[in-house]
Parts: sequence; structure tokens; C-alpha cells
Amino acid sequence: MTELRLISGGAVALAEPEPDAVPPLPRLSPGRHGMPADLVRAHQRQRLLAAAAAALAEQGYGRLTAARVTELATVSSRTFYQHFEDLWACVLAAYEEQAARLCAGIERAGDAHAGIGAAIEFLAREPDAARLLSAEPPPQIAALAEARRELIGRLGAMLRRALAERDGATPLPGLERRLVAAALALVSTRAAGGDPERLRALEPELTELLLASL
Amino acid sequence: MAPRASAASIRLDSLTADPASEAAVRETAMESVLVAAGEIGYREVSVRSILERSGGHRAQFYEQFESREDCFAQAYASWIERLCVSLLEAAATTPGWEGGVRAAVVRLLEFASERPAIARALLVEGQIAGQPMTARYEAALERLAAAVDGIRADLEPADAPPEATGSFVVGGIAASVAEALTAGDPERMWDSLPELMHFAVGAYLQSEDAEAAFERAHVLLERRRARLAEEAASAEREAGR
Repeated sequence: MTELRLISGGAVALAEPEPDAVPPLPRLSPGRHGMPADLVRAHQRQRLLAAAAAALAEQGYGRLTAARVTELATVSSRTFYQHFEDLWACVLAAYEEQAARLCAGIERAGDAHAGIGAAIEFLAREPDAARLLSAEPPPQIAALAEARRELIGRLGAMLRRALAERDGATPLPGLERRLVAAALALVSTRAAGGDPERLRALEPELTELLLASL
Repeated sequence: MAPRASAASIRLDSLTADPASEAAVRETAMESVLVAAGEIGYREVSVRSILERSGGHRAQFYEQFESREDCFAQAYASWIERLCVSLLEAAATTPGWEGGVRAAVVRLLEFASERPAIARALLVEGQIAGQPMTARYEAALERLAAAVDGIRADLEPADAPPEATGSFVVGGIAASVAEALTAGDPERMWDSLPELMHFAVGAYLQSEDAEAAFERAHVLLERRRARLAEEAASAEREAGR
């Protein structure tokens, strides 16, 4: 995945991201800045994705609106709809981006123990992403519900694989999905308070629960 | 001559004059807002969609509730408490820790099968609605987690699982049932009973205990299937007479 980076002088450049790097948020300075249109567009999109996660953390799914997302992203409503068909397309793109970053961080960590640690650290450092990834989305938004099922499946498969590599264990089919769903429920409760230390404190317990249960 | 009262105002007068009817109107509206949220989603619920299910008039509704949000919040508080107490009661009246956990899970699955829209409102839509529902949901989970955690007293300190185990188990069971409710597949929900028991028991005890709990739940599930098949056959015979 390629993302936008702010470089010196407020210009932006496309670069391969560090998987758990914080995405850039600052608005480009108004007026002429001589930047290519595709870079401006990519910058706007990145701000909208970050704003969608921030708006969700602030308002929850029940009160989330496209107006609040555009306000936080400091773009116009017209710009929003140039990027996304509707609110849910924007939230889905934000969800998929954060899910990819979470999974990349876990993959990079190596074994199951380090992977759980990497996941907790990512979620503690990025509370908006934690809320976005752990909160149950409206089931009526089928694509978003499917993205969540995919994430649970992917994390479950990673857990199963890591455990098989560690001690050759083959857990009950489907158990790993249940464990991941339970872990997300626990993360959701701890993330709601917005205190990263509460999430970090969960790491040893969650590691034991996930690995011992399998 | 006194002005003639409209049919609507007559109904309203009769309802407000009778406290029992007033309570009934209130209860019906609270049930209807949950059914509506479970069927069409919290974001889509309007006073009209509540009244379509409950009957009655806007004026009656606004005598009881400030808004649809207020109605949902009151309904959620009332029903999540009822469900929580019902699950605690199922566990407390069944012998043994594992039996108690299984009885509570079965009670939850029965509730979700019989009232899927309300179960969906309580387990899924409440989270989407946000506060104060989220806090009530978490408080209910904490009470259930404390009950599940009762087994800790029987464990050697060296064997005791992490402090968050109760919340992990209860949250995991609720998430599984919520997922099946979202998929609109009540039988799949029942199919998961042995796995849920394996998950709950395995979090506290040894893997042999979890496997035994899986088997016992599987037997119970088979009995339920046989009973349902017998009831269906019996209903078919009755219909054929």
C-alpha cells in the first residue's frame, strides 16, 4: 500500500509506508502550492480516512454523519463526495486501511506472543483505530459487517498458524474466531475510555487467554 | 353545546385516566422500539416506525417519552436488566459451575431464538446507539462475568486464570450470539453451543474439562434436535387429520 507523506516545506510525496506509522493529517496550506492534482487528491483522501475514524470515536455509529467527517478533515462536502459515494464507503475505506496496518504489524512481529503485543501496542497508540476496529458496525451496512468478519477470520488464521508453528497444536475448528471476537470485545470496552494504559495493561492477560485457550 | 371530542382525543382521555392502560401503552412502545431497532437498525428507527408496531398516537408517545432516543434508552435499560437477571437466575438454579454456565448460555440462545429482533437490539444495536446503552450493556456483562468467575474460589491460586477471564468469556459468548443474530441464522447459533462451552470452560480449566464440556453440550444439542423433529412430525400429523 502506498501512502502520502508530508515532507519539508509542506509538500507531500508518495511513499511505501511503515505499516504502523501514524497517517498524516495536517491540511495543506490554502491557495496555490504548485502540487500535482493527484497528490492533493491523495492527501485529501488520507485526511478523510483519518477523520472518519476520529468522528466514529467521537460520535459512535449511532450519530456518525458525513458532515462531521468533512468538518474534521477540513474539506468541503463536495470534496467528500468526489472521493466517496457516501458515508459508509468512507468508513469502509478507513476500516480496511486500519485493518491492513494492524495485520501488517502483527505479521512483522513474528511469533504469536510478539504478535499480540504488537496488536495491543498499535491499538493503544492509535485510539481512533482501536475504536474503529473493535466496535461492532451496523449490520445493515453489509460491506462493513463483511470487512469485520474478514478481519476476525484473518486474525484467527494468524493465531492458528502461529500456534501450529509453536507447538504443533491444532485447535478446535472455529475456536480461534471466537477467541478473536472475545479479544475484540475486551479491547472495545477498554478502548472506549480513551486511556491507552488500560489497553496496554491488557496485554499479558490477553496473551495468556488467547494462547492458553488454544 | 360543548364541542364534540375527536375519536383520537377520546382514546387518549381514556388511556390517561387509567394508570394500568398508561403502563401498558408505555410497555408496548418500549417493546416496539426494540423490535424496530432489531428489524431495521437503530439509525433508521423513527417515532413513526415505533407507532407502526405499537399502535397508538404520537401524542400518547410524547406523553411517555421525550424522543425516540429516550424511548430506546428506557426500553434498553429495562430489557437488558431483565435478560441479565434471567441469565443469572438460570445459572443460579442449575447445579455445578459448568451446568450453570451452560444453563445461562442455553437461556440466552432460547431468548435469541424466540425474540430475535429484541435480542439483536440488545446485543448489537445498543452498541451502535452509544451511551447510555453501552454503559448498561457493559454493566450487564460485568455482572455476568462476576458470576462466571465464581469458579475461581475452587481453583488453586497457581491455576487461577487472568483477572479479565470472566469479561473475556462473557464478551466472547455475547459476540458469537450477536454475529449469528446478525447473520439471521438462529440454528447456526444453536450449533455453536458445544464450541461456546469449550471456549468458556477452557478459559478456566484444563483442556480435558473443555472437551468434556463440549461433549455434554453436544449431547444436549442432539436431544434438542430430536425433540424439535418430534414436535414438527407431531404438528404435521395434527395438520393431516
